[in-house]
Amino acid sequence: MRLLLVEDETEIQGFLRRSLQEAGYEVEVAPDADTAERLAIGSQFDILVVDLGLPDRDGISLILRLRELDSKAPVLILSARRSVDDRVRGLEQGGDDYLTKPFALAELLARLRNLLKRNSPQASEATRLRVLDLELDLLRREATRGGQPLQLTQQEFVLLEYLCRNAGRAVTRSMILDQVWGMRIQPDTNVVDVHIYRLRGKVDGAGQLPLIRTMRGVGYVLKDR
Amino acid sequence: MSLKTDRPALRSAAWRVSFLATIAFACGTMVIFVFIHQFVSNDINRRSDAWLSGEIEVLGDVAGRTPRDALYSRVVREIAELAAHEVPNKSASEGNANNSVFFLQANAEGLPLLWVGTGDGRSNLEAIKTTKFLPDKPTDVRVSGFPVPFRVACLQLGDGSHIYLGLSERDELGVLTKLRLRFILLWLLVVLLGFGIVFLTTRRMLSHVRKISEAASRIGHSDLSERVPATRRDDEVSQLAHTLNRMLDRIECSMHQLHTITDSLAHDLRSPLTAIRGKLEMSLAAMHDEDNAEAIVSAIEELDQLTDFLNKSLDVAEARADALRLTRTQIDLSELLETMMDLYEPSMTEKGVQIRLHNESGVIVFGDEGLIHRMIANLLDNVLKHLAPSSRVVVSLHVEGKMALLSFEDDAGGFEPEVLQHLFTRRVRGKASAGHGLGLAFVDAVARAHGGTVEAMNREAGGARIAVSLPSAPEETRQQLIVAEQAG
Repeated sequence: MRLLLVEDETEIQGFLRRSLQEAGYEVEVAPDADTAERLAIGSQFDILVVDLGLPDRDGISLILRLRELDSKAPVLILSARRSVDDRVRGLEQGGDDYLTKPFALAELLARLRNLLKRNSPQASEATRLRVLDLELDLLRREATRGGQPLQLTQQEFVLLEYLCRNAGRAVTRSMILDQVWGMRIQPDTNVVDVHIYRLRGKVDGAGQLPLIRTMRGVGYVLKDR
Repeated sequence: MSLKTDRPALRSAAWRVSFLATIAFACGTMVIFVFIHQFVSNDINRRSDAWLSGEIEVLGDVAGRTPRDALYSRVVREIAELAAHEVPNKSASEGNANNSVFFLQANAEGLPLLWVGTGDGRSNLEAIKTTKFLPDKPTDVRVSGFPVPFRVACLQLGDGSHIYLGLSERDELGVLTKLRLRFILLWLLVVLLGFGIVFLTTRRMLSHVRKISEAASRIGHSDLSERVPATRRDDEVSQLAHTLNRMLDRIECSMHQLHTITDSLAHDLRSPLTAIRGKLEMSLAAMHDEDNAEAIVSAIEELDQLTDFLNKSLDVAEARADALRLTRTQIDLSELLETMMDLYEPSMTEKGVQIRLHNESGVIVFGDEGLIHRMIANLLDNVLKHLAPSSRVVVSLHVEGKMALLSFEDDAGGFEPEVLQHLFTRRVRGKASAGHGLGLAFVDAVARAHGGTVEAMNREAGGARIAVSLPSAPEETRQQLIVAEQAG
């Protein structure tokens, strides 16, 4: 996957490039809009990460320019601004995504994956999810672990489904809040943790391999091996 | 806007102003008329009296000098009839002009000697006998059979007989009646016309004022781009509009400056925070030693708290200046509250706090989704952080008038008095409170930005009550929305 990172702050540039490379992306970096435009014309990228506050031009005008040049790669907009520009909302509706700084790396990677998935031809939607001995029937909304049915509430099932879909990858608390409850909030209490404890109590029974792992400082991960 | 124009005209300022102006105008013109009327009637009286005095002198002279022979009555009659033709103020009366004038001579015993006038003059003599005359001054005499009194002058001749010259006041009263009638008609016309003109002018002027005030009220907390309409004429109303617009320019300018400051502050702090967080995460990922990881984990958590604090501080600062930027959408508060309770319920149970929800369904507000979500999360966080285990909380949501009312009532210890005073000002927290103390200030900020309020009090039954009210979307707007959704 070829990724173009347009970011002027060298500090952020540095760690983003390394993290993205570790995540398997082939990363090109542009410190300003002009360089980005040149690079984008020169070669094909699968996805773009664009900071809004660029030294020479506004990030949005760069994106609009690239769209004019017939670039179809999805864009993840990074913004340190407080208010979300209407034009950003427009782009968001057009299939792009935005992320406010500062962000968790896990969230950045998850959003990139989502953008790529959205852009790739749709694989037929699976009706069953399987992670090790955990199995979810998405149609009947039922879950089993090692063949034993789990007594999950509707909400717990949605939470487990989200973890399964991201099995092996870290998800942050705010990602869970966004995806499972549909809210972009940052509670200063441990509401998400309590839901995870409850779910863990049902999924990881005594004597079983614990599947839901806490990653301190990051969030949670559902083990897939 | 059409709501306001529907109000009854009787309650409008235009009506009041024109009503008062008309009353003042009507009274003024009435007073002037009374003066004119008085003047005219005095003048007519004076003229009649002058004529009577002059004529009776002439008649007295003639009567005195003419010898009392067979020709006497003919001579005096001729003279009297001649005089009657010269009556002042005389209106063209029907046929016999003399019915407004009479001449009577009576001897010392009061018997009639000579009569010139309509009828036989007996009733005139009766009336004259009962009247007391002043010398040289005509007097009013009421004669039976005549609706209007006669003005009668009297003169005593040398032989002791009296001559009386009477002039009916019929004509002068007729003139005055006509004057009054015409005046009343004209007066009514002028007053009505004046009322109409004043009413239309004031209404026109005040409708400009109303348009200005409607436009000014449309200019919300966050949208300052609109301006009030200005008329082309250079009058006080258009000056008002211009002044308002200049004021709005200035407010918009300072608002813009505030946004620039908060935005650049946010930007300048967020960039290094992003770099620090990223580096911390990378070193955490590279670390296999659990003990050292602990330090990095807590650094990341503190960094997130710092970010949250920064965001809330700037939001609260902007809201205090009524400058919070909102992106309004339609929010089903009832549904949102259900989801929020779903999210918070396990934590509440874990802590031993019993929470119940009384939720009216279909409570809709127009608000900024992100801010409203965070506001409710803050209120629930507040419950979680401050309430002792085994406390009970009742959350209720219902519509009261035009407001959606969301209240939290608990049965715990309530607020400490010194905390209650400054609950919604920045960075206040109870002794036992954790966190940065911005939670309720943020709730207040969001409610205010949406045109609502927050109230906190200690309940009489014990415990605390926090009530947030937000303007609910009115029924017709909801209908419009449904229609728009169906159309779109």
